[in-house]
Amino acid sequence: MLVSQFKVSFILLMVMLIVSACGGAAPAATEAPTSTDEPPVSVLPATDVATEAPAVEANDVSGQLVIYSGRAEPLLQPVIDAFKAKYPNVEVLLKAGSNSELANALIEEQANPQADVFITTELFTVQSLAQQGVFQSYRPVGADQLPAEFLGADNLWTGLTRRARVIMYNADLVTQQELPTSIFDLTDPKWKGQVAAAGSTNGSMQAQIAALRQLNGEEETLAWLSGLIANEVTFFGGHTDVRKAVGAGEFKLGLVNHYYYYLQKAEGSNVGIIFPDQGEGQIGLITNATAAAVVNGAPHVDAAQAFMDFLVSPEGQKLFAEQNYEYPLLPSVELHPDVQPLDEFRFADVNVVEAAQDFAATFDLMETVGLP
Amino acid sequence: MRSNPISPRLAIAAGLVALFVAVPLVYIFIRALGAEPEAWQRLFQARIWKLLGNTLILLIAVTSGALLTGVSMAWFTERTDLPGRKIFRWMLAMPLAIPAYIGGIVHLALLRPRGGYIPQALESIFGQPVFTPSPLGFFGAAFILTLFTYPYVYLLSAAAFRSLHASLEEAARTFGRSPLQTLFQVTLPALRPGLAAGALLVALDILAEYGTVALLRYETFSSAIFVQLSGRYDRSAASVLSGILVVLAILILWGELRLQGQARFTQMESNWRPAPPLALGKWRLPAFFLVLGVVSASLLVPVVVLAVWSIQTFLDPQTMAAVFRTGSQGFGSYVWNSLWSSGLAALTAVLLSLPVALNSVRYPNRFSRFISRFCQVGYAIPGVVIALSLVLLVNRLLPFLYATPFVVVIAYVLRHMPQAVRASESALNQLSPSMEEASRTLGRTSLQTFVQVTLPLILPGLLAGGSLVFLTSLKELPATLLLRPAGFDTLAVRVWMWAADGFYTQAAPAALFLVLASALPLYFLLRREQIFK
Amino acid sequence: MTTLEVHNLVKRFHGTQQSAVNDISFELMGGEILALVGPSGCGKTTTLRIIAGLERPDSGTVYLNDRIVASGSVFIPPEKRGVGMVFQDHALFPHLTVSENIAFGLRGQSAEQVKKTVGEMLHLVGLLPLAKRYPHALSGGERQRVALARALAPRPVLVLMDEPFSSLDADLRMEMREHVRRILKSMQATVVFVTHDQDEALYMGDRLAVLSNGQLEQIGTPEEIFHESNTRFVAEFMGDSDFLKGRVTHSGIQTEIGLLNQIVDLAASTPVEIAIRADDVGFVMDGSGNSLIVERFFRGAFNLYRLRLDSGQILHAFTDHSQILPVGARVRAFISAEHPLTIFSS
Repeated sequence: MLVSQFKVSFILLMVMLIVSACGGAAPAATEAPTSTDEPPVSVLPATDVATEAPAVEANDVSGQLVIYSGRAEPLLQPVIDAFKAKYPNVEVLLKAGSNSELANALIEEQANPQADVFITTELFTVQSLAQQGVFQSYRPVGADQLPAEFLGADNLWTGLTRRARVIMYNADLVTQQELPTSIFDLTDPKWKGQVAAAGSTNGSMQAQIAALRQLNGEEETLAWLSGLIANEVTFFGGHTDVRKAVGAGEFKLGLVNHYYYYLQKAEGSNVGIIFPDQGEGQIGLITNATAAAVVNGAPHVDAAQAFMDFLVSPEGQKLFAEQNYEYPLLPSVELHPDVQPLDEFRFADVNVVEAAQDFAATFDLMETVGLP
Repeated sequence: MRSNPISPRLAIAAGLVALFVAVPLVYIFIRALGAEPEAWQRLFQARIWKLLGNTLILLIAVTSGALLTGVSMAWFTERTDLPGRKIFRWMLAMPLAIPAYIGGIVHLALLRPRGGYIPQALESIFGQPVFTPSPLGFFGAAFILTLFTYPYVYLLSAAAFRSLHASLEEAARTFGRSPLQTLFQVTLPALRPGLAAGALLVALDILAEYGTVALLRYETFSSAIFVQLSGRYDRSAASVLSGILVVLAILILWGELRLQGQARFTQMESNWRPAPPLALGKWRLPAFFLVLGVVSASLLVPVVVLAVWSIQTFLDPQTMAAVFRTGSQGFGSYVWNSLWSSGLAALTAVLLSLPVALNSVRYPNRFSRFISRFCQVGYAIPGVVIALSLVLLVNRLLPFLYATPFVVVIAYVLRHMPQAVRASESALNQLSPSMEEASRTLGRTSLQTFVQVTLPLILPGLLAGGSLVFLTSLKELPATLLLRPAGFDTLAVRVWMWAADGFYTQAAPAALFLVLASALPLYFLLRREQIFK
Repeated sequence: MTTLEVHNLVKRFHGTQQSAVNDISFELMGGEILALVGPSGCGKTTTLRIIAGLERPDSGTVYLNDRIVASGSVFIPPEKRGVGMVFQDHALFPHLTVSENIAFGLRGQSAEQVKKTVGEMLHLVGLLPLAKRYPHALSGGERQRVALARALAPRPVLVLMDEPFSSLDADLRMEMREHVRRILKSMQATVVFVTHDQDEALYMGDRLAVLSNGQLEQIGTPEEIFHESNTRFVAEFMGDSDFLKGRVTHSGIQTEIGLLNQIVDLAASTPVEIAIRADDVGFVMDGSGNSLIVERFFRGAFNLYRLRLDSGQILHAFTDHSQILPVGARVRAFISAEHPLTIFSS
């Protein structure tokens, strides 16, 4: 009896997922941009209403706001504090974890939504969830000024900040001459046991693998990952551990997001940064963006929208830029003076929609290789 | 001698409790067997054998390490004239208040190669890197876990050393055995069933351990399941791994349950007389430093380091502000969440254990014994596995409970029910049935008898069981991490959120508080132990 | 008026072939003390527990004051039977004081009434000064008396005592026997008293019921049980009898140690056994006698000898001689009884 009940509910859920995935994927596919110059901005009537809605008065918004965040809590807390200062009547409930852990939860909760806002450290997860119908449309106030490529189809998600995948090094231990120039150098035996990176649960790492898989194909990505493992790369749960280990000299090199280098430098470590793969024939700098989305069926839509507005407002963007050395997507907000501007670099050409569609294959790949 | 082999009301209540315990277990097996063959194939190709090897090697290493440490420490404090043995008794048992992952955090911060406090201090003294043992990987994990699990064995063997009749050893001496030969040929074999049961409990703990191995980067079944759960969209691989892990754990639990029946060594006879302590002579000082070393590594250093870090945090307003707040919640809410969820779990587990224990102790038969043993299966379901099944089950069957703290409480109850069942059974076993019969002949119904006679008399035993559940729930990490609703952070979660990201000092206040909150019920529990009387 | 009637009681425990209680019937008059005696496992405690309502009989009927309390269709729970019970381990409630233990069964009475009754009971058992003590601070004999006072306080229809003295030292046991019997008699209590000790049964019981293997062997006064044993089991269990083989003749029974002058209603030359105790056998030194002294046991006031007859049969005999006869000496044994002996046909 029990068994059959599970089976039924399981099958129902699968059917639901498939239907919603197809429904979400179809329009997204037709509008998928072939290059970053043609952003996927679709304008739906519902979105217009949202766009034209006047900014809600701060004191009118009250009650709870449930945030699921794939961003590490220490990096998000200052933003929540600033938001709280502006909306004192909102009680913020935060659950921080990995992107995929929370994505699992959101899929699981589709019939019984708990969260209002989801924040991720890369775009593939939000895109993939958007295709599964997890989010509702919302175009935050001021979203018009964001680069169009960082807005999800149907306004199902909104990009927040940009980050680059870089290599940081301990300048006490590595000379300028021997520095790697490409992420493929990390499999060089001369770095055996000297490299730290984040493991398979980390969203930024997952996204880098997914991007690489799109750029160079399954085989080469598999070879690269196997190379890392064979080269005794140490995989940590998060990047803070990586940057601290490199800063302390435990490792010579670390594969991180760019701001971890700046955070470590701010702590007084003698570390350096390499923006890899800029040479002729190399893949270019892999970048990604953090994003936020309002959950479909969110119990506290008002607070969720207020929070989304805040995230893309100059005030919110400034916090990300200043406190965390990220690249704000809002052009009017200035970069932290220490941070090297991105326009000096050549980017890897990654299609978010396609990468998101192939995300499951990326997980299979990590499992096949046995990435810790 | 009972004539009515079944009390229908009690049997039904006990059966319902067993059913409650069974659901997550059955569900995991259904999911594991129902996983598509590809998931099995992928796992069997690469991962399972490595995980199995890793897990078993760690399990064997820690279990032997804990046995060796626990028994030798017990021998020192109970059988020799070790200086300070009275205070050492307490200090050797107190590490039970420190979750292994917190101990791991401290040792990792101290000893981490090149980055740790000690290697850095040595480097600045000698001007060059000095080799220090690494707390990472297999050896580190085995070392740390041994440090924080040996107290189980210590308590069991100290009690056993204490209760063993002196004449047993004296008899061996009259048959021409030296003290050392007596220890190995008579004393230790006599303690064997109890010690083996203790060792198997340690083994079950290791199977369930997530925090420490994740922190020290050693991959076992539990940590791999956690990675699967937080790293992938589909749960079939996690289910497969969980199924195998639970089968492994049930085998160990089965052995433990079989040994439990034989472990009757702690009963003191009326003419009991302690064996005279062995004079250590010139070995007194080395023995003292050996015991002091164990106590330092497992208790003094962690507590002192946590205290120092906590003070540092308090002195820095910025970190303090960060530590004491997440979302809208503050430190007070973590403490409160920890206390009430663990407290409610303890209360529920004890209440649920009562019909099971009453049924098995007062109406012993095959069915009631089976129910009682079955309700102890929680020992064999690691936190990650309970979390996996509850996430899926509760959301589908009880959506109103989903994403409430009560799911976390349910997980604690399921996981720690065995301790409550055992405590209730032992309390009832010590109560003569004639006490209840006397009450019946004096005009009380069975319910009145339970309330007026049985309950007041077994209350200390129930409190002990509740304390144990409270203590272990307070420490529970993986289930809390995976099941907590947004905004529901416990002390354990707080410790982990910071420590997993490498912010050790920031993790300290919550860790220190967790240790202190555990020390209190532990103190109460230890007071009941023979060796502290 | 009968206080207790037990008819055809049968009780079988799960997983056992034999009945613990097999068709037991007896009745008990008000104010009478009945001792249920027999070796362990004979069913005496089970019978007691069935009367108390702590066990359900498989069949049979129990009447208390002419009311059915247990039968095929009726089962009155123990709390509604109005019996008092003294347990083997006393079962004093350790969380209650002596007074509170005694007051436990006094319900539906005013506080004053309860206080008065408790005071009377404490006085009766001589424990007034210990009223506020907890059971763990009492000696064995004191606990025993509290248990008795607790059982008697509600003035039960029937008092059931399950080996109440077995946890006491030998000295104290003797003392308590007298004490308890006096109290029970002064209260005119109706009592069923279970023991495995025949001395105790003979002392305590107005009547005795001897049980063996779940069956009632004999019920009667102490004298009847001792001297007129109905069955070989009773004779053996109650009186340490030896069984001397013999054959019926027209003038009595011919045995290896002479003729017993007792006419029995059996055909001549029927083989029989005579239950004979050490005080029924005499012997004198005789080099050509019929038996050998195998062993001598010094018993203080007298000596007990074990004799082996030429046939191999063992008999016991007392002598109060100050003279000690050596082991190995040949003697002539004879029947010295001056009262009828119990005879069983083999």
